[in-house]
Amino acid sequence: MSDLTAVPTPESLRAWLVDCVADHLGRAPAGIATDVPLTTYGLDSVYALSIAAELEDHLDVSLDPTLIWDHPTIDALSAALVAELRSA
Amino acid sequence: MTATVADPLARLGALLDRSPAFDPATLAALDRAERFPADACAALDAFGLPAHYVPVEHGGRLHGFGAVAALLRAVARRDLTVAVAHGKTYLGAVATWIAGDPAAAARLGARIAAGAVVSCALTERAHGSDLLGGELTARPRAGGWTLDGEKWLINNATRAELVTVLARTDPGGGPRGFTLFLLDKARLAPGALTPAPKVPTYGVRGADISGIVLRGAHVGADAVIGPVGHGIEIILKALHLTRTACVAMSLGAGDHALELATAFAAETVVAGRPLADRPEVRRVLADAAAALDLAEAAATVAVRAINGLPRELSVLSAVAKAFVPAQVDDLIARLTDVLGPYGLLGPGFRHGAFGRLERDARIVGIFDGSSLVNRNALIDQFRRLARAWRKGARDDAGLAEVTDPDAPPSAFRPAALSLVAGGNSVLAALPDAARRVRATGPAELAGLVDRLVAATGEVHAEMAAFDLRPHAVPPAAFELAERYELCFAAAAGVQLWLRRPVDAPRLRALLVRALDAMGTR
Ligand SMILES: Cc1cc2nc3c(=O)[nH]c(=O)nc-3n(C[C@H](O)[C@H](O)[C@H](O)COP(=O)(O)OP(=O)(O)OC[C@H]3O[C@@H](n4cnc5c(N)ncnc54)[C@H](O)[C@@H]3O)c2cc1C
Repeated sequence: MSDLTAVPTPESLRAWLVDCVADHLGRAPAGIATDVPLTTYGLDSVYALSIAAELEDHLDVSLDPTLIWDHPTIDALSAALVAELRSA
Repeated sequence: MTATVADPLARLGALLDRSPAFDPATLAALDRAERFPADACAALDAFGLPAHYVPVEHGGRLHGFGAVAALLRAVARRDLTVAVAHGKTYLGAVATWIAGDPAAAARLGARIAAGAVVSCALTERAHGSDLLGGELTARPRAGGWTLDGEKWLINNATRAELVTVLARTDPGGGPRGFTLFLLDKARLAPGALTPAPKVPTYGVRGADISGIVLRGAHVGADAVIGPVGHGIEIILKALHLTRTACVAMSLGAGDHALELATAFAAETVVAGRPLADRPEVRRVLADAAAALDLAEAAATVAVRAINGLPRELSVLSAVAKAFVPAQVDDLIARLTDVLGPYGLLGPGFRHGAFGRLERDARIVGIFDGSSLVNRNALIDQFRRLARAWRKGARDDAGLAEVTDPDAPPSAFRPAALSLVAGGNSVLAALPDAARRVRATGPAELAGLVDRLVAATGEVHAEMAAFDLRPHAVPPAAFELAERYELCFAAAAGVQLWLRRPVDAPRLRALLVRALDAMGTR
């Protein structure tokens, strides 16, 4: 997981997010699709902010947690994050 | 700095003492008749209180949020209905200070300073705490929007000139599916807005708790507060601020309760001796004073965090809003247990003031997020808070500002507000603070601060170990949240005391009260 801090790619971010969401939901990572909104899994919007916050801690960058509201699937969030990290 | 805070506070105190509108008999009669305290609100307008609701950058006198909280507490100490009725304008306008464009904020500031009442309509009949369930809709039209729907159980909905309204702008809803509008009633077409009748309430009986029905209400594009679709984010941030004001009102109710109970115990003679001579009465009064000190410590730090620790406000304000009204309700209940049988609640003592207070105070625990809703908000952040505790993450400059009531508040930075907190500096700094108390304070405090540090460590260990699932928060998490609140309030008490290390017995009582409530011995 820690190699993420070096060069995050959409793939590595996606994998990390799948694990993180699965952990929050108490489900197997294999059961988490990356192209559906996280609310599909019963994650409410405010709770989803904590996942964004974990991502912030994990990457050790400052992120606006509402990024997860603007990009509500794991795919969209990973792509947006990579763009954000590049521009930072 | 102290002078600018104390000045209006002293002048307000004089007004509350002298104005006939604040005569307790008059206010009691209005409450019995369920009539709005219009004269008292007019007296506060004439005093200039509304200008304290408006940030300096928008033409008002609000700089540090601690100052406006102190003013609202003073009003609430006299009469909670008046505080709820008048203070609503402060709560109703905050969204515009956070996200409105500067010209709109300046216009609103001028209206408020001139006495306009501002209300804030979030709740609907079928959707209380659940903001994302809202059905009042705004649809785009040429040059603006059309609003349809109802908001209900809204403070000052009928009396207000301006109403901040949360409306669904995406039929699919979701966290980016709502937008905030500032409605100016005078600019709506006749019939577009109908006030719903006043709702009779258990407490604050004179307040205008009513609603609005909008039918094809056209507003211009300039009525939108902040970006379209950002209503939920803005209002959640606004609630972080307004919760500290609710907490101030709750403290005022606590002050009033303690004042009334102390006077009652001194004045009521039973079997030849005043009640105040009895040990059980002395004990309950001392306990109530300690509970109020504990609540005040949490409230003081939380409200100063708006200026000083904005990144932590989501946690600090939720903790204060969950904790303070619950403490005040509890101290009122315990005073009632001991003194109620002698007539404390009866109409014979100060126009029935205590009985009324007992009803009024409970309302603060319901609006702007109930204790449970706030506890849930805290629980959502357990994992991150536990991690921050382990790392010892803290903001020392912010901490110094919020724990020193004489420090000048730094400028309000809405952009620094965040929906989640990176940590809690007050708790992170507790082990260091405890070392300082042990090194420099009296021996009687050393053992207590050590127990507090140990309890705080345990609470965080349990938070880290908690297997939380969204939508399935177990009751034990709420119990843990309550202990977190007690650790926070006690740690705030320690930090504030270190700034002004006088009256160690008072800090001792505060710590004993917190540790007892946590069940540690
Ligand atoms: C005097 C008064 C003035 C008011 N003024 C205003 C106003 O000016 N503007 C406005 O918009 N609204 C106002 N309200 C409405 C108030 O905000 C709502 O009553 C409040 O949101 C609770 O809604 P509800 O009563 O429908 O209860 P519900 O939201 O249905 O809640 C029912 C119970 O479930 C608990 N609960 C709800 N959600 C959670 C959660 N996530 N976690 C744990 N427990 C939960 C609640 O604490 C409560 O005990 C006012 C209410 C009163 C009584």
